[in-house]
This record gives sequence, C-alpha cells and structure tokens, in this order.
Amino acid sequence: MAVRGGIKRRTGRGAFNAYLMIAPAVLLVAAFTLYPYIYAFWSSIRVMSPLLPPAFAGLKNYKAVITSIYFLRAVRHTLVFTAASVPITAVLGLLTASLLNRRFFGDALLKAMVLLPWAIPIAISGVVWRGFFNSGWGALNALLYMAGIIPKYIGWLTTPSLAMSVVITAQIWTQFPFAAVLILAAMQAISEELYEAAAIDGAGVLQRFFHVTLPGIRAMLAIVVIFETLMGLTTFDLTYALTGGGPGTATTLVSYYTWAESFKMLNFGNGSALAVILAVVSLAMILAILQFIPKGALIGGGER
Amino acid sequence: MMRGWGIRLVTYLGAILLAIFILAPLAWIFLSSVLPEASILSYPPDWFQYGLVDANYKYIFTGEVPHGALLTGELRTMISQEVRLVPRAVLNSFIVAFAVMVVNCLVGSLAAYPFARLRFAAKTPIFFFITMSRLIPTVALAIPYYLIVQRLDLLDTYWALITIYSVLTLPFTILILTLYFRGLPEEIEEAAQLDGCSPFQTLVRIVVPLALPSLIGTGLFAFMLSYSEFLFGLLITQSIKTRTLPVILATVSWNPDVTWGLTSASIAIGLIPTLLLVFPVWRYMVRGLVAGGVQ
Repeated sequence: MAVRGGIKRRTGRGAFNAYLMIAPAVLLVAAFTLYPYIYAFWSSIRVMSPLLPPAFAGLKNYKAVITSIYFLRAVRHTLVFTAASVPITAVLGLLTASLLNRRFFGDALLKAMVLLPWAIPIAISGVVWRGFFNSGWGALNALLYMAGIIPKYIGWLTTPSLAMSVVITAQIWTQFPFAAVLILAAMQAISEELYEAAAIDGAGVLQRFFHVTLPGIRAMLAIVVIFETLMGLTTFDLTYALTGGGPGTATTLVSYYTWAESFKMLNFGNGSALAVILAVVSLAMILAILQFIPKGALIGGGER
Repeated sequence: MMRGWGIRLVTYLGAILLAIFILAPLAWIFLSSVLPEASILSYPPDWFQYGLVDANYKYIFTGEVPHGALLTGELRTMISQEVRLVPRAVLNSFIVAFAVMVVNCLVGSLAAYPFARLRFAAKTPIFFFITMSRLIPTVALAIPYYLIVQRLDLLDTYWALITIYSVLTLPFTILILTLYFRGLPEEIEEAAQLDGCSPFQTLVRIVVPLALPSLIGTGLFAFMLSYSEFLFGLLITQSIKTRTLPVILATVSWNPDVTWGLTSASIAIGLIPTLLLVFPVWRYMVRGLVAGGVQ
C-alpha cells in the first residue's frame, strides 16, 4: 500500500495522541479480559467450594473434571453437535448467499427474512423452537398429523436422539444467516469480468460456480467454518432455553455443563478448570482464524 | 441474467423452502399467541375451532385475568404473575442496550480512528488483542465476572450490565469502525492535518460527520448484541429491577404455571423491537460490510 501524504509519516506527538485515544477501549477490554483469566486460572488450581475451606488443589480439579463421565459425555455430545451443525450451516449459508446474489421477484423481501433468525436473541430462539417441536401440542406434530404423515405424535424433545437433532436444527437456524451474509460479501467482491470471461469460454452455471465463485470465496468459507465451529463448541443460550440439557443429559454440551457445574453445583474450582480448558481450546481456534486473515487486511498503514 | 427456466425454477423453489424454514417456528409463535388454550391443546388438532382471542396480550398489559384461569375444576388454566414482568423487562433491556450503544459510539470511534489512520508502536498486536478477545467463550468468564461484580457490590444494577456488555461489544465495534474509517477518502483528513488539526479534532470534525450513518449502524449492532445477551443477564440480574428480556422469557417459558399462549404472546412482544431494528442495522452496517469491507 502506497504511503500518501503526511498523516502516516508523523510519529512522536501523533503516537502519543494515538495511545490517548485508544486508552479507554484498551483499558476497559484488558481489565475485563486479563484479570478474569488470571482469576479463573488461579481458582482452577484451588479448592473453591462454599462448604470447604479454601486450599491449594494443584491439578486435582482438572483431574476430577477430565475423568468425570458427565464431562466425557458432554464432550461427546458437543463433538456430535458441532460436527453435524457446522457443515450444514456452511452449506446452507453458501446456498442462501448464492440465492441472495441473484435478482428475482421478491429478493429484497427474502433478504430481510434471512436476517430474522440472526436478529432474534438466541435464548428466545430456543423457546421458539421448543414450542414448535413440543411433543404434546407443538406445531410440527399437529401439522404432520393433519397432513396424515404421522399416525400419532412424536416425542421430538423427549427422545434423546431426536432431541439432539432438534437442537442441531435450531442451531443451524440461528447461525446460517450470519454465514450467508459473510459469504455474500465475499461473492460480491468477485469481479464481474471473471464471470463474463468464463461465460464467453462457454462455461455453464455449475462450471462458473466451481471455477469462479468457489475459488473466490474460499478464504471466507474457511473463516465461516472456523467461526461456526467456535460457536458450536461454546453454545450455551440455545440448550439452556430449548432443552435445559435434557432429556437426561442427552443435549448437555460442554458450555452448559460448565455453567451447571459452577452455578448449579456451586463447584467453582471444577467450573474454573472447565473454563480454562474451554478458553485454551478456543484460543487455538482463534489462532487458526488468524492464519486465514490476510496480513494488513484489517488495519492499514504503520506497524505491521 | 441466467438463461433457462430450469434455473429460475430452482431459484424460486429454493427461496420458498428457505422462507418456510425461517418463518415456520415464528408463525407458530404469532398464531398461538392469539389462540385460546383449548384450541392449542386440542387433539386431534383443530386450531381454529374457538376463533382468535386477545386475552393473553390483555393480561400482560392490563392484568385482566383470562376467562380460563377463573374457572374451577379441570377446565381451569394456569396463570402466573411472572409474564406481567415482560414489558418492564423490555424497558430494562432497552435502557441497558441504549447505554451500551452510546459507550460503543464514543469509546469505539475514539479507538478505531488511530487503528485506521495513525502510526504507533505495537498497533497490530493491540488491535488483535482487542478484536480477538471477544471470541473466547463467555462461559469461561462467567465465574470471575460474577465475583468481580459481587465484590464491587454491583449485582442487580444497570452499571454492571452496561460495563460487561460494553466490554463484549467494543471489539466488534472497533473492528467494523476501523474498516469504515480506512475506506474514507484520506485527502480531506490530510487537509485538516495541514490546517493544524490534531487527530482528535480531525476525528470529531471530519471523520465522524462523514461516517455518521455507519457509526449509527454499528451502534445499533452493539444495541442488538446487548439486547440479546443471556448468560450474564442470568448471572448479574436478581430481580425485576434489572432483569432483561431474554432472561425473563427463558424463565417464563420454564414456568409450569404459564400457558403456551401466554408464553408466545410475551415472546411476540419481546420480538417487536428486534424486528424493527433489523432493517436499519442491515441498511447501515451489514450492507456497508458487504460493499466496502472486502476490497
């Protein structure tokens, strides 16, 4: 990027001004990021229970957490949940973006509609889907019954394996709009000339998609997949409102388990150990995201 | 643009399926909020046998108890005062989210300008520290935040919610505003600098007026994120003094004394502000991101 004019050349007084201007934001974010992490780490190696005197615990909390069958179960559920919801979200996001990238009757209306699930608080979306899938009077059972597709109501939320599918469906519903918006942004950045050149070469719709569109949005697609994986691994609001982790523990994911361990069982030591594990896994994901962001794409000029 | 009716058919089919997937659960919310409980619970299902009613909305706003709850015996339906807290919860959420929006516009634009235009040491590491801090799951922060707020004696106050939500939303605001400010024509700012304006004066006099629509859009985005936040709302609020809408709706929905009709009416009320905000946010922020963010 060419350095034009004087703004960027000026250091000294300019740098001091810059620090002054970013100070409120940096201090606020740092105070509420660094201190909590140090605190969480410290609690994770101590006995933190309302019933027991505080003491040093070493790695005992971690050992207790990692060997608990409930934790292992939550990990398994989280992996199944993420492995199912992320690819479907990405593909649905891609299809939706392709659709929104075209002109057709009612496209503006559909655009507004696609934003709806994204705009609704996730905790409320959970309740919305609970009403839709309710085993006794939910709309889905009633509609399927009226259409003659099912002879009797299905226990969507009371059957463990079905409940997981419902949570996955709801997760996809809340997540695909944002994925679609990001992918659409990448699609619209592809030069029209590339499409014209491909058309002149006789490429059909599918060929143009695979040879022009897909390469153009690959980086964004990677970001979407990693971001959605992060969202999947840390889903909390949705399971709290939709299933409460049930039936039994069938839809208890790691985040919900961490919350329950801390604030239902009041075992802050174990809760903190879980939180540290979650944070480390997320940090690894964040570093992966950074690999896909081109250098200098976000902030220009000056230090790189 | 595309030739062939096959492609057109696929387009419309896709659009219709997508619309059904998006709207189906929401349609049930709005429909069941005006159905009598007996119709909702009927089996075999017959939703329209008793017509439509406004009893649920009336109860939430005026406290007039629905007919079904006055009956005795088996026909009596359950009712709980808790749903009457919904309008107050909307107000709480609004106050908190609005304050967060103001903090984001002030602190966010102040921080974004240096990242976009000025040169200083450790710029990139600080920028990534801020923007990426938000990606670590909030559950991992729940215990320390709770204990900090408790120690400061700020549980159940707006202050605690506003501070925490500002910390959670600022990274997004700074990221987006930095991208915007970078996209503005540099020449005007250079002229201002030559006239002796400090970076702060340039920001206030030149950049903010130019970027005002985006600034509002980004602020609304922060508003929506705060309005939606659930986990910290659950932890920090303890009474209707500060309890936010998602928290009230989640607890109402698990309350066995609240009928589904009442639950869905409260959801419908809670959704209206969000639905009204979708369009300005799309117009100013998302569209800007789509058009300008990926050059």
